[in-house]
Amino acid sequence: MNYLGVGFKYPSILTSIVAIVGGFGSGKTEVAVNLTRFLALSEKIPIAIADLDLVNPYFRSREAIAEMEGLGVRVIAPRGGNFYADLPILLPEIRGAIEKREGRLILDVGGDVQGSRALGTLSDAFVSDKYELLMVLNSRRPFTSDVADCLKTMSRIEITAQLKFTGIIANSHMIDETTPEILIEGYRLASSVAEILELPLVFLSAKREILEKMDLLQFKCPVLPLVRSMLKPWERGIASPAACRSSKDEQVRRMTKRTND
Amino acid sequence: MAKKLMKGNEAIGEAAICAGATNYFAYPITPQSEVAEYLSRRLPEVGGVFVQAESEVAVGYMLFGAASTGKRVFTTSSSPGISLMQEALSYMAGAHLPVVLVNIMRGGPGLGGILPAQSDYFQATKGGGHGDYHIIVLAPSSVQEAVDLMILAFDLADKYRTPVMLIGDGMIGQMMESVEFPEQYQTPPSPKEWALTGAVGRKPVVIKSLFLDPIALEKNSLELAKKYEIIKADEVRYELYKVNDKNKLLIFAYGTMARICQTAIDELEEEGIGVGLFRPISLFPFPQKEIYREVIKPNIKALLTVEMSVGQMIEDIERCIVGQKPLGFYGRTGGIVPSPDEVKAAVKKQLGLGK
Repeated sequence: MNYLGVGFKYPSILTSIVAIVGGFGSGKTEVAVNLTRFLALSEKIPIAIADLDLVNPYFRSREAIAEMEGLGVRVIAPRGGNFYADLPILLPEIRGAIEKREGRLILDVGGDVQGSRALGTLSDAFVSDKYELLMVLNSRRPFTSDVADCLKTMSRIEITAQLKFTGIIANSHMIDETTPEILIEGYRLASSVAEILELPLVFLSAKREILEKMDLLQFKCPVLPLVRSMLKPWERGIASPAACRSSKDEQVRRMTKRTND
Repeated sequence: MAKKLMKGNEAIGEAAICAGATNYFAYPITPQSEVAEYLSRRLPEVGGVFVQAESEVAVGYMLFGAASTGKRVFTTSSSPGISLMQEALSYMAGAHLPVVLVNIMRGGPGLGGILPAQSDYFQATKGGGHGDYHIIVLAPSSVQEAVDLMILAFDLADKYRTPVMLIGDGMIGQMMESVEFPEQYQTPPSPKEWALTGAVGRKPVVIKSLFLDPIALEKNSLELAKKYEIIKADEVRYELYKVNDKNKLLIFAYGTMARICQTAIDELEEEGIGVGLFRPISLFPFPQKEIYREVIKPNIKALLTVEMSVGQMIEDIERCIVGQKPLGFYGRTGGIVPSPDEVKAAVKKQLGLGK
C-alpha cells in the first residue's frame, strides 16, 4: 500500500543550484535537509548541501552533517571550533561549487534579510536559468502571515540577495502542533503570493504524519513529505544513527516502489 | 488570539510589550540578539523606545535612570553581558527599583561559547553584585512559559520594587514553539508616588543607593531583607512531574534541562523504574519547604540533580534536604546538553541498578 495514497507528485528539480531562503521559523533548514535527502535517494548524480546560515546560531543544517554524509552527500560547512561560531563565515568552497554547477547543490540560506546578504555576495556566480531561488513561507510566522507581509519580506530579501525569486515553497507549520487546517491555510497563502508574483508554487512540504491524514489531490502542486531532522534535545527522532539507517532504508524502498509504479 | 510559532527570543520581546513595557535598552550578544532584532521592528509600532547602548555597563545605568521614572523598563542579554551589568544591578536593588532583566545563558566562564548553559545560577540567585541583596529569579522551560513569566516578572518587579531576572539557557531563546499571548495588552502603568516625575506641587523624592550614615544604610538593608522574607513566603513557584508515592527517585532540574529529564522519566517508566521530577520555577525564592516535603516521603530512596553546569543548584538542594537522602549529580557544561540517555544512566547509577 502506498503510504501517502496515490496521485500526488514529488517535487522535480531541474536546475543545478537550488537556494532555499526563508526567515527563521519558516522551516527552510528542515526543507533544505529533506530536499537534499530526497534528491540523494532518487538521483544518481553528485549532491551537495551548503550551509549559508550566518544568522541562526542553533538548529542549522550543520547539525545534520552525519546523516547527510551517510547518504553520500557532500556537506559544505565550517568544521572544528568554527562549526559553533556565530561569525559570518562564508566558505570559499561555496562559490566554487556554485560556479562549477556539477550535479545538484542545495543552499541553505540563513533566515531573512541579514542571512540573504550572504547570498548577495555570491550573486555574480549565479547564471540565470541555471538556479532556483525558492522562498519558504510559513503562514504561522510573524512577517509572513499574510500576502502583504510576504510580498514585503520577499522584496526586501531580493534587494539584499541581488537575485530574483523563481518559486515558492508552502511550508506552514507549528512544529508538533501542525494540523491539516494549518497546511491548507499555508497552501492558500502561498498560492496567492505565487499568483501575484507570477511564480510557480514549486512544492508544498509538511511532516509525513500530517500528510497521511489528508487528501493530497487538493494540492495542485508537488508535495515533499518531511522527516524532522532538527530536533530538540528532549525529542526522539531520526537523530540516532540507527534510526537514520532505518529511515534511509524505508525511503529507498519508497523511492524504488515509486519508480516501479 | 491564534497561536503563533515563535522563537523564544521573539516571544520574550512580544511578552514585554504585552506587559506594557516599551522602554528597552540592550546591547546585542548571541544567543539572544533576536530579542533586539525583533523589538527594533516592533517597538516603533507601539510607540516604544529601543536604545542600543554602547556597552552592557551603559545598559545597566540606562535601566537605573529609566526605572526611576516609574515606567516599565527592561533589558535582555547573555552571560558575559549580564556580568557587565552586575554593578548597576546592585545599585538598582539598593535603590528599590523595579526592572526586568533577561539572561539567555551561554557557556562560561569568560567569553566561553555561544551554546546553551545553566552556569549563571550562582550569579543570578546569590547576587553577582555587592551588598545585602537578592533579585527574584524565574526559570521558564518552554517558550510559552517564558512569555507567561516575562509578564509576571513586570508585575513582581512593580509589586516588590525589585529587579527581577528571567533566566533561560540558550535553548529557551533559540528554539521555536507555538505560543499564545493574552487578548488584552496592558497599558503602561500610571506614575508611581516614589517615581521621579518632576516635583511640581509636591515634595521632591530622591532615588539612591548611597547612605553614608551607617544607621540609614542598615535600615535600608533591613527593609530589603524584610521584602525578601515576604517574597520567600509568597512567590515560590515550582512544578511536579510524575511524582507519586511509588517513585524510588526524585530528580531536580530546571529550565529546558527539566524537559530532557521528562523524556528520560517517560522512558524509565516503560522499563518499570518510577522516577519523579521536581522543577523549581522560581530559583529565588527557592522552593525550600516544598522540596523538603517531597524528599522526606518514605518511598524516595535517592535523589539526583541534573544541570547544564558542573553543579550549582545542587548547593541549594543540599541546603533544603539537610542530608535526609543520598543526593547524586549529573551535569554537562560548556554548551554540551545532557541527553535523555545520559540522564537515564545517571538515574540507574544513583539507584544502584546495572552498571
